[in-house]
Amino acid sequence: MRVEKCYFCSGPIYPGHGMLFVRNDCKVFRFCRSKCHKNFKKKRNPRKMRWTKAFRKASGKKLTVDNAFEFEKRRNEPVKYQRELWNKTVETMKRVEEIKQKRQAKFIMNRLKKNKELQKTQDIREVKQNIHLVRAPHAGKAKLLEEKMVQKLQQTVDMEEDP
Amino acid sequence: MTRSKKIGNHKSDKKKNISKLWKTKRRVKDLDQIHQDMKPENAQKLLHQEVDYDVTGNAQHYCLHCARYFADFRSLKDHFKTKVHKRRLKQLREEPYTQEEAERAAGMGSYIPPRKVEVTTQIIEGEEMS
Repeated sequence: MRVEKCYFCSGPIYPGHGMLFVRNDCKVFRFCRSKCHKNFKKKRNPRKMRWTKAFRKASGKKLTVDNAFEFEKRRNEPVKYQRELWNKTVETMKRVEEIKQKRQAKFIMNRLKKNKELQKTQDIREVKQNIHLVRAPHAGKAKLLEEKMVQKLQQTVDMEEDP
Repeated sequence: MTRSKKIGNHKSDKKKNISKLWKTKRRVKDLDQIHQDMKPENAQKLLHQEVDYDVTGNAQHYCLHCARYFADFRSLKDHFKTKVHKRRLKQLREEPYTQEEAERAAGMGSYIPPRKVEVTTQIIEGEEMS
């Protein structure tokens, strides 16, 4: 007995669940639920359906390359039951899962960080472009003009006094 | 990537009843089967079939990528220029999806992104015949 992986969504298929389709060239397809089976019948590409694990990984939304992924494997060798080995395996499984969760979470956080920077630059640009909505284009200009006039007047007065 | 949109199904008589098309009874070749067909030895066989009176065009005009028989040489040639055929070529340019990929996506081993495959329309033999 084995927990298989769904052909379409890569989810686990527990014994007694889902269905199995054998194509006329003897190739076997396993599906976890009717949703996946229906999508397969409609010839949809799992890489393009946003809700599948294949999409999440193919489009770089999830951690793809890591050593923590090398533990789970299809080992076609039966191992004789040993209490100690079994205990150890369960312990390591927990530890591996913990590490995997941490790394995946970190990957996602790093991915989101990039967008934050982009958002910031975009915000700055938007403010710069639309500054006239915040401050009227002529705001403060009257005061400046006044100062200039005063200066000019002073100059002319000086000029007249000189000769 | 954008969400899929329904493209031009109104004019096609074949697609009037889509639920029928999805039945296993009427199942047509999958993309990975076509990738198998594209291997030179298989392609050779498919493109040079014996005369079979039960098949459209006596099985003499076959489009490898669309897995379709055509009535005559001209309709086959016209088909190569259609949107359907070009769309199919584009779909085939990516390596087919497999159970192994599904397992890698599920966390059994590192995920390897699909490779690109060079696909061009089959070379038409007997060009001078027509």
